[in-house]
Amino acid sequence: MSQPHAAAAASKRPFSSTTTSPSPTSSPATPLMKKAKHPAASSSSAGTVEKNGIQLDTAVAAAAATGGGRTNGEEDAEMVLADQDELPAPSAPASAGVAANLFRKKATLPQPSTSARKPLRIKIGQPKLPKNFEEDTWAILKDAITAIFLKQKLSCDVEKLYQAAGDLCLHKLGANLYERIKKECEIHIAEKISALVGQSPDLVVFLSLVQRTWQDFCDQMLIIRGIALLLDVKYVKNVANICSVWDMGLQLFRKHLSLSPEIEHKTVTGLLRLIESERLGEAIDRTLLSHLLKMLTALGMYSESFEKPFLECTSEFYATEGVKYMQQSDIPDYLKHVESRLQEEHERCILYLEANTRKPLIATTEKQLLERHTSAIIEKGFSMLMDANRINDLSRMYDLFQRVNAVELLKLALSSYIRATGQGIIMDEEKDRELVPFLLDFKASLDKILEESFAKNEAFSNTIKDSFEHLINLRQNRPAELIAKFLDEKLRAGNKGTSEEELEGILDRVLVLFRFIQGKDVFEAFYKKDLAKRLLLGKSASIDAEKSMITKLKTECGSQFTNKLEGMFKDIELSKEINDSFRQSSQARTKLPSGIEMSVHVLTTGYWPTYPPMDVKLPHELNVYQDIFKEFYLSKYSGRRLMWQNSLGHCVLKADFPKGKKELAVSLFQSVVLMLFNDAQKLSFLDIKDSTGIEDKELRRTLQSLACGKVRVLQKIPKGRDVEDKDEFVFNEDFSAPLYRIKVNAIQMKETVEENTSTTERVFQDRQYQVDAAIVRIMKTRKVLSHTLLITELYQQLKFPVKPADIKKRIESLIDREYLERDRSNPQIYNYLA
Amino acid sequence: MKVKILQWHAVASWTWDAQDETCGICRMAFDGCCPDCKFPGDDCPLIWGACNHAYHLHCILKWVNSQTSTPLCPMCRREWQFKG
Repeated sequence: MSQPHAAAAASKRPFSSTTTSPSPTSSPATPLMKKAKHPAASSSSAGTVEKNGIQLDTAVAAAAATGGGRTNGEEDAEMVLADQDELPAPSAPASAGVAANLFRKKATLPQPSTSARKPLRIKIGQPKLPKNFEEDTWAILKDAITAIFLKQKLSCDVEKLYQAAGDLCLHKLGANLYERIKKECEIHIAEKISALVGQSPDLVVFLSLVQRTWQDFCDQMLIIRGIALLLDVKYVKNVANICSVWDMGLQLFRKHLSLSPEIEHKTVTGLLRLIESERLGEAIDRTLLSHLLKMLTALGMYSESFEKPFLECTSEFYATEGVKYMQQSDIPDYLKHVESRLQEEHERCILYLEANTRKPLIATTEKQLLERHTSAIIEKGFSMLMDANRINDLSRMYDLFQRVNAVELLKLALSSYIRATGQGIIMDEEKDRELVPFLLDFKASLDKILEESFAKNEAFSNTIKDSFEHLINLRQNRPAELIAKFLDEKLRAGNKGTSEEELEGILDRVLVLFRFIQGKDVFEAFYKKDLAKRLLLGKSASIDAEKSMITKLKTECGSQFTNKLEGMFKDIELSKEINDSFRQSSQARTKLPSGIEMSVHVLTTGYWPTYPPMDVKLPHELNVYQDIFKEFYLSKYSGRRLMWQNSLGHCVLKADFPKGKKELAVSLFQSVVLMLFNDAQKLSFLDIKDSTGIEDKELRRTLQSLACGKVRVLQKIPKGRDVEDKDEFVFNEDFSAPLYRIKVNAIQMKETVEENTSTTERVFQDRQYQVDAAIVRIMKTRKVLSHTLLITELYQQLKFPVKPADIKKRIESLIDREYLERDRSNPQIYNYLA
Repeated sequence: MKVKILQWHAVASWTWDAQDETCGICRMAFDGCCPDCKFPGDDCPLIWGACNHAYHLHCILKWVNSQTSTPLCPMCRREWQFKG
């Protein structure tokens, strides 16, 4: 800025006064006071301020200061008037210094009461004005105004002019003076504005011309206002519908500006062009822009002449840009661009636009850059961002979408993303093994995105839940089974890599998946089956972890769900006690042959999975042990039956191989088979089957594990994977292994196909009973119910997925069993039969 | 002797050795529990009378306590006495 500080300050003042006070005449006192201060302050630093060629000496400041001080309060001004009435007629009221005289007079005014001894009569005639008082005074003022507008040196000092204007007002000639000033100003303003017509075709140059004209106008009007201050105070204030000298100036300026639309048009176009080039990345003169926009505001033309076309222009600009960028760049870049655009527009409002423009401007930008492209953005980029886990970009997308109320759209996209992403792996039977780890990772990454990108939005959280539930239940039953198996793997001994805390964390995360599963009974069945094996075969990694998992399940599903599981743990504890007392019992001490260390797990039938009874002809010594234990147990607990679960028994054998002694951990069946080779060299499949009595399929499995697995204690002749009826087996004399203790009984932990199907079938069987029970429960309370209503109520009660066809079958079955009957008149209605 | 058993972990499961499948009072399976219980097995034991009829302990106690005169076995109407 090349102008002195005072000019800038002074030129700012009128803006603020016009913008802050809606009616210009309401409070002249404050701007006056402020105005008085500023020139004074500047003159103290610069002595004489030269501004646009006009000598503005300190007298102005003084005059303004006294004027300001005097007219500060209204009563003060009245008092001056009253004083003047008492004075003998001043011979030349037009002469300068009246105000100063008055000031002095007032200060030394004698007290009227002290010399009231003898009434003194003085004839007071009406004061008369010189003949040409008004015309002469006006002539001075007119010259001054012209000089101001032409930037010439004033012929007399400003204080005199101020007093001259004041005098005219005093003598009630304000109206005339006002009109004359107005007229005079108009001539000059019109002239200046018309000078702009046809000026430079270069818009920037033109804009700076306009700006200079405006700046000059402001400065000049300021001086004129200073001179005509008393006009404002004494005349304008008391007359309605008339504006202050300053505002009158603005009005004139505006009037003449609108008289030449070319200027207005060119200015606005220039401004728009400037802003556009700034948007395109060019550096522009923001000060110029700011000044001109403030001019428009001061003239009251901002919203009509500028804001409207500006918003249209913005809309157009961003519409084109949005389409172009959407095609050119990828979504993360586009979003970044939008974000920076919004930031730019925001700054623009701070730097030079009116504050009011911010809302519509930002809205327009958002609309053109975002709202119109939301679907395209989601379609093109959402899955990609989710796949790549781009937290920041997603967060940006969320923030931006929130601005244009498109969060709903984002939510839908999230939902369909979850469904689509998981579908492939859920439905692919080949990938069953990866399913649970995948789901765990997927859920974890979704949670992270929810927390860091979507501001933990509750609606989003629910969407994730819903979609995940939908996803996991796309395939019925199998995911529940897989989750149970995943847990089995984790809780099984041999996971040496995982610490207790890590295991605990995994359990918690799996539990989250468990929550989504609709068929929790499937989970329970498989979990129970695996838990049983872990406990009975001593394969559990940690009893603490097992119990903690049970506790978690209990809090999740209630004690009903875990009753039986807890019962299993109880049985294990109890079995330990029984074994201890068995060892100390008289039966054991007297009758038991030494050599075998026996322990028995006694199971309460109701708690454990049901195992199909498996017969086996035990070697004699084992039979002895069994019988002694049974005798002991039944003597301790009367009224019970004990059934041996041979398929679950396991042994530790000592085996003498020519190449060294080994300890083998084997299943009971395996050891029964191996024991046969103590007395025989070579045995055929049928021989073994005959002497062990093990069921055909089970025996084949057993032999396979002994002769075809990793650890080959037996040799099969001929070699091959499958065991045929004619195959023969010999003890493997060449057996060698690096370790002393060898586990061969992994076969017991492994789930057979039969086991799997029977577990699933049992679940379905249980479900049938539950459906039956639910139907009877409902009918018992309702007595009479239509088919549709019954179905609806059933679905509310049942916690697992059922097909309507299956329900129909159950209803038929209940009708057969005479729990229900069809109504005779309407077969769609059922009656309950008590 | 090529192999010798060192340890044997056997598994056995027990059930009630009653003549009937279900309790004559509550009609629930003996392998299950009476309607007031949640856990079958030791928590809800069976009891035999002198007449050799078995019931859930909780069921027969309720029955015995509800009788004003000498309690009879619900099945055979002989005087109820716990099998000692």
